[in-house]
Amino acid sequence: MLTVPSVTPDAISELSAREMRRAVVRRWLFRFSVLIGWTAFIGVWYLFSRLVFNPQQLPEPHVVATESWTIITEQDVRTHMQASLLRVLAGFLLAAVVSCGLGWLIAYNAWWRTLLRTIVQFTVSTPIVALAILTLVVFGVSSLGPIITTAVVATPYIMMNVAQGLTGVDRRLIVMSESFGRTRSQIITGVLLPSSLISVLAGARLAFAVAWRMELLTEIFAASEGVGFQIRRSFESYDVRGMIAWTVLYIVVMLIFENLVFRQIERRLQGRTA
Amino acid sequence: MATVLIENLTKIYPPTITYPHRVQALGGVNMSVTGNVFVAVLGPSGSGKTTLLNIVAGVETPTSGSVRAVQDGVPAQVGYVFQEPRLLPWRTVLNNMLYVQDRKSDRSRREAEFYLTMVGLNEVAHLYPSQLSAGMQQRVGIARAFLVNPDILLMDEPFSHMDALTGRSLREYLQRVWLHTRKTALFVTHDVSEAVELADRIVMLRPGGVVFDDIPVNLPRPRHPDDPAVRAVEGEVLRRFDSMEAAVRFGAQAG
Repeated sequence: MLTVPSVTPDAISELSAREMRRAVVRRWLFRFSVLIGWTAFIGVWYLFSRLVFNPQQLPEPHVVATESWTIITEQDVRTHMQASLLRVLAGFLLAAVVSCGLGWLIAYNAWWRTLLRTIVQFTVSTPIVALAILTLVVFGVSSLGPIITTAVVATPYIMMNVAQGLTGVDRRLIVMSESFGRTRSQIITGVLLPSSLISVLAGARLAFAVAWRMELLTEIFAASEGVGFQIRRSFESYDVRGMIAWTVLYIVVMLIFENLVFRQIERRLQGRTA
Repeated sequence: MATVLIENLTKIYPPTITYPHRVQALGGVNMSVTGNVFVAVLGPSGSGKTTLLNIVAGVETPTSGSVRAVQDGVPAQVGYVFQEPRLLPWRTVLNNMLYVQDRKSDRSRREAEFYLTMVGLNEVAHLYPSQLSAGMQQRVGIARAFLVNPDILLMDEPFSHMDALTGRSLREYLQRVWLHTRKTALFVTHDVSEAVELADRIVMLRPGGVVFDDIPVNLPRPRHPDDPAVRAVEGEVLRRFDSMEAAVRFGAQAG
C-alpha cells in the first residue's frame, strides 16, 4: 500500500530555517578560512624575515605597517598616489577609446583581424621591463611616457575582449530588432553594446590590473613623482621598509579601486543577465 | 486594410562549408491574405514556413518572386513573435516592450502596460527576463508584437518550445489579444490542433516550399480544443495532411 508522508507547513518552515542556519554557518566558516589564510601568510612572512633573511633584507610585517602609517601621516602620500592614479586612469582611458575602435575592426573585418592579432601577440609577449626602458628612451622623464606605455600594454586586453563581445552577440536579437524596424544606431546602442559589456568589462578589469603594474614600473624608470618614483628613491637609499610600505599602500589602493568599481559593476551586470 | 500578396516566391540557400548542397526552402509559393484574418501556415519541418515569414518580415531576401505587405497602399508595419521570446536580458520587461517603440512617451508606456495587462504580466513589468518562466517570457514576446500596432502580425511557432499546459494557456492569451485587435495574422505551426483552434484559414505547405492546400475554418470564437466542431475540422485537416504526405512519398518514389 502506498503511504503518503505528511508534510505540514511547520515541517517545511523548520526545514527552511535549518537550511538558512546552515548557509549562515557555511558563510562564516568561509570568512574564517580566509582569515586563517591571511594569518598564515603573515606568519610565513615573519618566519622568512627572522629565519631565512634578516630584518634589513625583509622587514617584519609590523615594521612595514608602522612605516606605511608614517608615510600616510608624515609624507606627501596624497601627491604621489594621486600622480600615479591619474596616470593609470589616463592610460587606461586612452586604451579603452583606442580598443573600442580596434575591437570593432577585429570583429567585423578579416584583414584587420589578422593584422591586429599578430600585433597583439607581439605586444603581449614583450617583457614589460623592456617597454619601460623603451619609454625612458623615447619620452624621457615625463608624465607622458608612463601614460602612453600603460595604454599600449592595456590596449590588447580590452581590444580582444571588445572583439570577442561583439562576435558573441546573439544574432537572433539583431534579427528581432530588424524585424521591428530598429535603425542601425538603435541596434548598436540597444543590442551590440549592452550584450558585449560583460566581455568588455572582463577585459577592462584585466587591462586595469596590468596598467597598475606597468605604471609602477615605468615610474621607477621614467618619472619624477608617483609611487614608483618613491620606491626607486627608497631603493637608492637602501630603505627596504619604505619600498615595501609604498608597494603595500599601492596594492591597497588598487584593491579598493578594484572592489569599489569593477566588482560592483560586474555584480550588477551579472545579476541582470544571469 | 492590410494585404500580404505573395507571388511565385522562391528561396534557395547556397551551399555552405558545413552543408555543401543547395537547399530549396521555398519553391514558388503563391498566396494572398487580405483583411483582418488569422491565417495559419501549416507544414512539416523543411517546408519553408519560417523562411516565408522572414521574407514577409523583411529580414531575408527571396531568390525570386515577390512579397508585398501593404496597408492602404503603404508598406505595412510588422509585429513578429518568434519561436523563442528573444527578449533583451539586460532590460526589464517594460523596457523590452519600449525598445520596439519609436517614441518613448507616457502614452507609449501606458500602451505597453495595457498589453502587458492583456497577457497578465503587468505585475512583473519591473522584472528582468531571467526572473520569468519560459511561458511568461513568451507572453512578453506576444505583448511586444501587438504593442507596435502592427498592420500584419507574424508568429513563428511561438508555442513549440512550451509544455502542453503552458502552450494551451498561451493560445488562450493570444486569442484574447487577437480578438481585441483583429490584426491580419500569419501564424506558422506544425501543430494541426493549434492551427484549427486559432486560424480562420489554414494554408498547407509541403516539403520544398509549395502550397498544397488552402482550408477555410469557419468556426465561432473563442474556440476550445475540446469542442467537437474544432475536433471535426482537425480530423479533416489531418486527413488532408496524410494525403499530402502520401503524395510527397509517392512523388519521391516516382522521382
